[in-house]
Amino acid sequence: MKIDFSINKKPVSVDVDPEMPLLWVVRDELQLKATKFGCGRAMCGACTLHVDGEVYRSCSLPVQYAAGKEVTTLEGLSTEAQIHPIQQAWIEEEVPQCGYCQPGFMMAAAKLIQEIPNPSDEDIKSNISNICRCGTHPRIIKAIKRAAAIQQASKI
Amino acid sequence: MSAKANSNKRPFSRRKFLRRTAVVLGGSIVAGFLGCSPTRRYLAQTVESMDFPAVISSMKPDFWFQVLSDNSILFKSPKIEMGQNVITGLAMLAAEELEIPLERIKVEHASTSSGIIDSLGTGGSNSTLALYIPVREVAATMREMLKTAAADQWGVALSSVSAKDGVLSSGDKTMTYAEIAESTTEWKTPKTPKLKPSSAFKYVGKTVKRIDLQEKVMGTALYTIDHERNGLLHAITLECPYLNGKIKSIDTTEAAKMPDVVKVIQEDDLVAVVAINRYAAEMAVRKIKVEWDIPKAWQQKEIIELVTVGKGRRVNVQDKGSARSILSNSKAKVFEQAYRTPMAAHAQMETYGTLAHVENDEASIVIGTQAAGMVQGQLASALGIKKDKVDVQTPYLGGGFGRKMGRNNAAQAARISKNVGAPVKLIPTREQEFQNSVYRPNTHHVLKAVFDEQGELEAISHDQATPDMVMKDLGGNFALSMVGADWLSAGHGASILYPVKNRSTSIWNVEVPYPSGIWRSVGIFANTFAIESFVNELAHHTKQDPLEMRLKLLQGGDELNQRMTKVLETLKDKTDWGTKPKAGIGRSVAICNDRKTIAAAAIEVSIVDGAIKVLKVTEVIDCGIAINPGGIHQQVEGAIMMGISAALYEEITIADGKISASNYHEYPLATLNDVPEIQVTILENAPEPFGIGEPPLGPVAPAIAGALLDLTGKALRSLPFRLDEE
Repeated sequence: MKIDFSINKKPVSVDVDPEMPLLWVVRDELQLKATKFGCGRAMCGACTLHVDGEVYRSCSLPVQYAAGKEVTTLEGLSTEAQIHPIQQAWIEEEVPQCGYCQPGFMMAAAKLIQEIPNPSDEDIKSNISNICRCGTHPRIIKAIKRAAAIQQASKI
Repeated sequence: MSAKANSNKRPFSRRKFLRRTAVVLGGSIVAGFLGCSPTRRYLAQTVESMDFPAVISSMKPDFWFQVLSDNSILFKSPKIEMGQNVITGLAMLAAEELEIPLERIKVEHASTSSGIIDSLGTGGSNSTLALYIPVREVAATMREMLKTAAADQWGVALSSVSAKDGVLSSGDKTMTYAEIAESTTEWKTPKTPKLKPSSAFKYVGKTVKRIDLQEKVMGTALYTIDHERNGLLHAITLECPYLNGKIKSIDTTEAAKMPDVVKVIQEDDLVAVVAINRYAAEMAVRKIKVEWDIPKAWQQKEIIELVTVGKGRRVNVQDKGSARSILSNSKAKVFEQAYRTPMAAHAQMETYGTLAHVENDEASIVIGTQAAGMVQGQLASALGIKKDKVDVQTPYLGGGFGRKMGRNNAAQAARISKNVGAPVKLIPTREQEFQNSVYRPNTHHVLKAVFDEQGELEAISHDQATPDMVMKDLGGNFALSMVGADWLSAGHGASILYPVKNRSTSIWNVEVPYPSGIWRSVGIFANTFAIESFVNELAHHTKQDPLEMRLKLLQGGDELNQRMTKVLETLKDKTDWGTKPKAGIGRSVAICNDRKTIAAAAIEVSIVDGAIKVLKVTEVIDCGIAINPGGIHQQVEGAIMMGISAALYEEITIADGKISASNYHEYPLATLNDVPEIQVTILENAPEPFGIGEPPLGPVAPAIAGALLDLTGKALRSLPFRLDEE
């Protein structure tokens, strides 16, 4: 089935099984590889992306759901002119180790600082349930708070 | 640089490396033929205390380094990056001798055909130590080759040529590395130059951001699953969820009829669906009707019973004084306790998959492995082709933790590719990653100790029952039966380090029906948990402070004991140990030595809503020379989180012949909710850079157990901790 949607602000059209998870469409049909396959059951969050500004775990989201909507992956988070505060903070706090879960974490975190511009540790802990095995958690918390500060500063 | 450089004389102290290598590999062989217990003990002690060499197949600089046209240098790393930040440290070492700014060094993993891979693989927290000298020697040689070429071209004396920031100069003549590399065809290889003294280091000892940071944040870092080939097909294999199960009957008719399926392969033990996309392959494999022949439906209770001290084959690895006879004849009360650690999964975020393309009896493989050399050998024999016809390319690993030293699907992927005549990507599902994997084995430990009339610890013994972790992989069942037990990995850290006059340690090798392998920190994890929990219990029973008691025990010890003392004294300062924690908070300590890196942690816990909460972890680590302090901090933080995860949550169990956990909901890990306050201090009390990826994991679980004992008065002796444990 032909499905039209927009990815990182560009219109695309794919001809695939409408039940195919958005994850595989983004990765293998559209060749955007930042979004990762982790568990296939919406539990680990490695495949987190945004659809119409909402956070989704794309391994369990049929592509037909994205029809007519705007999908954003990590590749679309920053613009050429401006690095996204989350990515800037991630670099400044030197968060990643193996790096595999980080795109999902960054997508979840980008939404969080949009919803809660000045999150507490508690806000971060209770709103992001992604999994990391390298143990980058302490830096993720620091980076999200730093990103929130960068975001605040840029708005003034 | 041109390939002609290879024809020059062997420039390095390669023989020295080969000789050091032979001690390890030859050692196992000698033990195999002798097989008697004193020899085994000697070997166990020798290997435990030695530096592992890198087993590198060539020391030629153009295999390691390549000058690129933009005047940067490509470093083809023999060690792979799986998060542990090894490539940054190695590039820093190279930059010291290459006389080029670190920013101008690009790093990629060597593939088996493009460069030098380490045939021992990447693991054991040994990479930096093993390459500390070789990487600088090769870099210095490269620099001298560039200088020599410039001197020849300019017709000046070599001594007048200097190299700085990627530019060569002599008098008023200058040339970049790229320019000289471009214009030189005949290279001369000098003798190995003398290395810079550490006092002249520009980078070593300073915090440098990870080389892979930018690409891992921007999403451009590539892992196995991200690689593409023209005409790539996607495959999923059918895997038996039962331990050692085989196909009794199978019907693939429906699977073959599913949309987008190219083929269903049935070839001996290999059953796979090949499709034009991943989704189609996953849907189709579920349509296969299969009945399994299960040799035995194992239950958890049986697995635990198999792994029990007193069963299996015993190897005595430490025997100082006469601990055993003192403990069995003592009139004083002998303290005795038993500890257990469970099976565990690596649960790394990237499942261990392969992209394979087999064509005209040549194989091109992409696999994020810790052991590219091993995979190359496995593929050569699986396909019946020569090793040099197999190219193994290793991208970044989405976590390793030992998992990617073990069982892989490269041969399956290669056979599928050969069968369908196209490149194939075979990425396991998370369910397969949990259920068809290799596991940290469960262990059982019995510790005994007795105090003399003065209250001094007179004798202590440790018996560890453990399945094998590496011996079968290194040399099969024969090797394991000859060396007795896996003292190399599973028994690593089993010996008692405190200089107690009478101490004895034995490892009991037991067989289990599941594949067992290494897991971050190997034997250090289980053995430190058992020994250090026991020490905390001894302190508790004798009403001593656990940190002060350790300091007392370490008195009069060797150099290692002195370094342990310094680490504990630093921990005392950093934690303000003299001040007792507030009511409702328990505190304790633990320490380990992992191949000369000393790691100690002081941990505070409380119980919140009936659950164990780790509040604060203070860790002090002495790893000798700290190449990149920032990178070390990152590794220690990660090890603390993994230690908390293993102590509080992780356990693989077996029921009805199956691994019970199928996905993360059945194998919970620590999350953001578990982040404690963390403080890390680095000491550098040795002249070499020891490992850092694994050692800091050791003390976490026993320090938590000790803190719970301090808080509740009850000792928890098996992992993961359950407050209601009987």
